[in-house]
Amino acid sequence: MKTKTFFQFIGPSLALMLVLMAAPLVLTGYLSVRNCSLQMELVKAQESTPFGTNEILSHQAKLGSDGKALENCGFVGLDYYRKVLGITDSSAPKASATQPKNEFYAALQFTLIYVFVTLPFVLGIGFLLALGVNNVTQKLKGMFISASLLPFIITPVVAALSIKWLFRDNGLVPYLLSQVGIQVFWMAEAWSARLLIIIYGIWHVVPFAFIVLYAGLQSVPQDSLEAATIDGASRWQKMRFVTLPHLMPLIVFLSLIHLMDAYRVFEPVMVLTQGAFTASVQYLTYFILLQENNPFKASAAAVLTLIGILILLIPLLVKTYREQRGGM
Amino acid sequence: MKQHSKALQWAIYGGLTLWLVIASLPIVWTAIISFRQYVDAFSSPLKWTAPFTFENYRTLWIDKAFYLNFLNTALVTLGTVTISLTVGCLAGYALSRYRGALGFWLLLVALVFRAIPHSSLLPSFFTMFDALGIRNTYFALIFVLVAINQPFTIWMLRSFFINIPSELDEAALVDGCTRFQAFRKVIIPVMWPGVVTTGLFSFLLAYNDFLLSSALTNAEKMTMPAAIANAISAESEALLMQGVAGAVSITIPLIILIVFFQKQIVGGLTQGAVKG
Repeated sequence: MKTKTFFQFIGPSLALMLVLMAAPLVLTGYLSVRNCSLQMELVKAQESTPFGTNEILSHQAKLGSDGKALENCGFVGLDYYRKVLGITDSSAPKASATQPKNEFYAALQFTLIYVFVTLPFVLGIGFLLALGVNNVTQKLKGMFISASLLPFIITPVVAALSIKWLFRDNGLVPYLLSQVGIQVFWMAEAWSARLLIIIYGIWHVVPFAFIVLYAGLQSVPQDSLEAATIDGASRWQKMRFVTLPHLMPLIVFLSLIHLMDAYRVFEPVMVLTQGAFTASVQYLTYFILLQENNPFKASAAAVLTLIGILILLIPLLVKTYREQRGGM
Repeated sequence: MKQHSKALQWAIYGGLTLWLVIASLPIVWTAIISFRQYVDAFSSPLKWTAPFTFENYRTLWIDKAFYLNFLNTALVTLGTVTISLTVGCLAGYALSRYRGALGFWLLLVALVFRAIPHSSLLPSFFTMFDALGIRNTYFALIFVLVAINQPFTIWMLRSFFINIPSELDEAALVDGCTRFQAFRKVIIPVMWPGVVTTGLFSFLLAYNDFLLSSALTNAEKMTMPAAIANAISAESEALLMQGVAGAVSITIPLIILIVFFQKQIVGGLTQGAVKG
């Protein structure tokens, strides 16, 4: 295909990604080093009282000729990065004790815990399910695959809400646990709220790992397995030396996809803790933007979030680079 | 498959059943309590059976006009899927046929874009859309969803297009077709399975989105997932029960989707993995 034709075909897609992804990324960087504040002015107002007319002065937002509030915008350097990272100027008055010192670090810490704790469970449970389904009759396979798809394609906010209701006080799980003498107020403490988010994360992605690994199991070379049997390999040895090496590329693929998706964890954090005990990096940006109403600080958090995912992505990029280069 | 020992066979069936229970429990239990009043839904001690009521659904869909949110969702997902596929097919086809290094770099950048946390783009979206006066429009939301979906869409469609032998379109070119005619008349007709699968995933992305819809639109334009978010922190019992009914309402179309398109969904999930 000629380069000109290539551009004609890819043009619309490229334009969309440039305008709605690349440009916003650049703009985020720009916003993160700026700040705007309303221009205030003293306004003389006349106040009529039964005792005569008073002239009072009041602060008001200055309005432009179009009736919109005027703003002072300017370059503030890395101020918001310092705020998000909790680096306070020693000369500046100390922030109050209730202010979280380092919002971003705390959010990043939990995000990474979430990513790396869920990963082995997702792969492990997915693999066990794939092995299990491989050993049941054909008729049950289809049914089982259908039924186990639901956690993966269900709307995340709905899934998180359902889990919240399941674990809520007077919900099903606390009731069942209380029958065996365990009493936990799941949403009331940091450790249990975090555990719930991680449980959600595992539950949500296991079907994906299961289906991919199950597909992989279908293409394990049968003659290698037979050869191993003839050589007297045990079931475990066949698993370890034939099946697992064959599935390795898929396990790497699943890990990298999981890395990207889990880093974005948002809905369960929002639903299960409402940020009370823990935040994820994506939740932090959302919260600063919509609750604190500060697009500039949110941009600084966003830039830090993006740096984080870029660092995590390096292995994936190197891998793709090698594969695609080799293929072309 | 060889015969396993009885014990292993039992362990397999036991384990699979356990997973099925865990996988379906949250939504099944939510569906059960959605037909109860609050006092029965969250009672102490727990009730296994309770009087049946349709009240939560009636309040939600009729009094709270949830059908408007349903229509919003329908509009936004339909728009996103249509535009995503149109734009994505052209790009995916080009990427599968072009041999230059540029194509490779574009795919690599698309991969990075796929990983971007969506909230990182929101401050810029707010600024851009406010400046253009298109914040809180279906138009803006649809195009944002399309753009965010593009990296995934073009990767997936490209992997489908690559499997179609290029002799097919080259023969059409020799017969005097333009590239676009070859694409439209020769390639697209044999591409339907790939288009349907990719379309399903575009649908899921738009349908399941909460973050962008809740941030970019106001209440009257919100999609269903964004609209039930007020149940998250609901203090009122009635509001909570409407949220429960809403959660079930949102899930029903997805279950229908699984029933009809299980093959395509499974195919799509494994497509990227097996082909690389």
